[in-house]
Amino acid sequence: MKNVELLVIGGGPAGLCAAISAAEAGVDVLLAERDEWLGGQLVKQTHMFFGSEKQHASVRGVDIGKLLVKKVEEYKNVEVMKNATVLGLYEDRVVTIQQDGNYVKVNPKSVIITTGASEKTLVFPNNDLPGVYGAGAVQTLMNVYGVKPGNKVLMVGAGNIGLIVSYQLMQAGVDVEAIVDASPNIGGYLVHASKIRRMGVPILTRHTVKEAIGKEALEAAVIWELDDKWQPIPGSEQKLDVDVMCISVGLTPLSELLWQIGCKMEFVGELGGFVPTRSDKLQTSLDGIFVAGDVAGVEEASSAMVEGSLAGLSASSYLGYKIDVVKELERDYLNQLNDLRSGPVGEKIRQGLAKALISEQAANPGQGS
Amino acid sequence: MLEKTGVPTKEQIDSAFPSEERMKKGPFVVVECFQKIPCNPCFTACNRDGIKAFEDINDLPDVDHDNCNGCTLCVSKCPGLAIFVVDMTYSEDKALLKIPYEFLPLPQEGDRVMGLSHGGEEVEKVEVIKVQNPKGFDKTPVISLAVSKDKVKVIRSIKVPKERDRSEDEIVCRCSDVTLEEVRELIRTGHTTFDEIKKISRIGMGPCQGRTCSQLVIREIASITGQDPSSLLPGTYRQIVKSLEMGKVIEALEKEEQENK
Repeated sequence: MKNVELLVIGGGPAGLCAAISAAEAGVDVLLAERDEWLGGQLVKQTHMFFGSEKQHASVRGVDIGKLLVKKVEEYKNVEVMKNATVLGLYEDRVVTIQQDGNYVKVNPKSVIITTGASEKTLVFPNNDLPGVYGAGAVQTLMNVYGVKPGNKVLMVGAGNIGLIVSYQLMQAGVDVEAIVDASPNIGGYLVHASKIRRMGVPILTRHTVKEAIGKEALEAAVIWELDDKWQPIPGSEQKLDVDVMCISVGLTPLSELLWQIGCKMEFVGELGGFVPTRSDKLQTSLDGIFVAGDVAGVEEASSAMVEGSLAGLSASSYLGYKIDVVKELERDYLNQLNDLRSGPVGEKIRQGLAKALISEQAANPGQGS
Repeated sequence: MLEKTGVPTKEQIDSAFPSEERMKKGPFVVVECFQKIPCNPCFTACNRDGIKAFEDINDLPDVDHDNCNGCTLCVSKCPGLAIFVVDMTYSEDKALLKIPYEFLPLPQEGDRVMGLSHGGEEVEKVEVIKVQNPKGFDKTPVISLAVSKDKVKVIRSIKVPKERDRSEDEIVCRCSDVTLEEVRELIRTGHTTFDEIKKISRIGMGPCQGRTCSQLVIREIASITGQDPSSLLPGTYRQIVKSLEMGKVIEALEKEEQENK
């Protein structure tokens, strides 16, 4: 069994920042990543990020990923395990990992869980036809493996992922026939919507998929309009000849490990599903178990990075590392998070967090007084 | 409207433009950012206080058109590609419109391409004046277009014909599937002899031994490098390839041995 001070599970934006911030404080970190490479979803994000300079605004996501990976690799006190899937995390705090077909046991003093989120899907007739994908899968095909997913696409969902993947499909020379969304309004940033719309792609709000058509693979999709009670309007059907349908109807936290170890979980729709209750400094209901990024509540990558840095700091303090500037850093991270969430687009997140937040005292009963 | 279709209203667009008086003075920025999101690189990019400091990062950009000189630094920095530059003083009847454009193929300077509206509708043909794509723009090229003055509030994109590159479909070497485009690319990158092209692309190394391709390749080298085709060597000839049963070779050898006895 391998003894480590801190295990960070997941090498995406939150996990990388968590590892960096803990390593900076002097903690010995083991970072376990399921993929063959670090970076998580950042590796596919070819668009420029929003936010401010502190979160690398206006730099492309893929380049932010490279910056963070380079930083992680510079720390001698960070060990990276790639191709390493964490299988179990139990009450005795022993973590089991499958790496390259081998079974590894790790005994960490503290854990930061940054496993991210998975895509939600939709139910409609023939939704199992080849050609019906999650939008994230299409982005992986295109931007990681360089495979064109098809020629004509229907995007289902006008949130930021639906809009961004549509834009990237268009950049790859794939025709996007339409973007539909059941909501009355576009959910993603309107600047993303505008840059797609001006290339001639229609965005149809209050529309959804009725069915997919095809024998061996997707040949067409039927969409229809919804009334203001979200009910389909018969007769409003339109058939679109598409060979790819991307489902982009939101993400849900990948929280299996949190359930396993027994963190207190709360269903918070605004954050994408069941999330762990946590203190503002990201400790869960269990001593020494921290969370950051989408697994703590689905948000933008910018806040995932800041949360990662904050969780890294919290874990360092938990492990007894004293940093002079800890208060300053904490305040800075909390301010950054507050800035990113304070506007109208952050309203949902704020409402969700209010439900998931517990006071530090309640989160950490063992350490009070 | 904007939140349902992605197309801003006329009022929103008008609000992004300065006074008539300012417009007459030279280039200025048009920031079509109408939703409060946590984002401020336009402010960071500007070094002449043309975009005021953000009190809250979710604020809409506050443009000071008196300080802005239309320098275009912010255009490629805006993650939402929502910033444009307009110069009404460009010529008697045309205005210069600069747009961010992240699609391939890029237009060429001098091209006439279709200008598209906020909604993607065709507006008018516009001339491409300049294509800027320096490293600092980090893959967000800025295209300068000469547009009719009354279309500066209308045109926001362009439709560049996906030139059907014929040379991708034209096969020079049928044995190894080498296209004309690949051959041309090799010649353009300095491989100007048949042997070099053969060793890189496997052209002429298939069953036909270069009978189909060698003359075609020589012709392309000649036309791109401006040499006389008769001065170009056809490359090294190797043994002719022909399938032959091993037994026949042995038979022949045995026969030869017997004859030599």
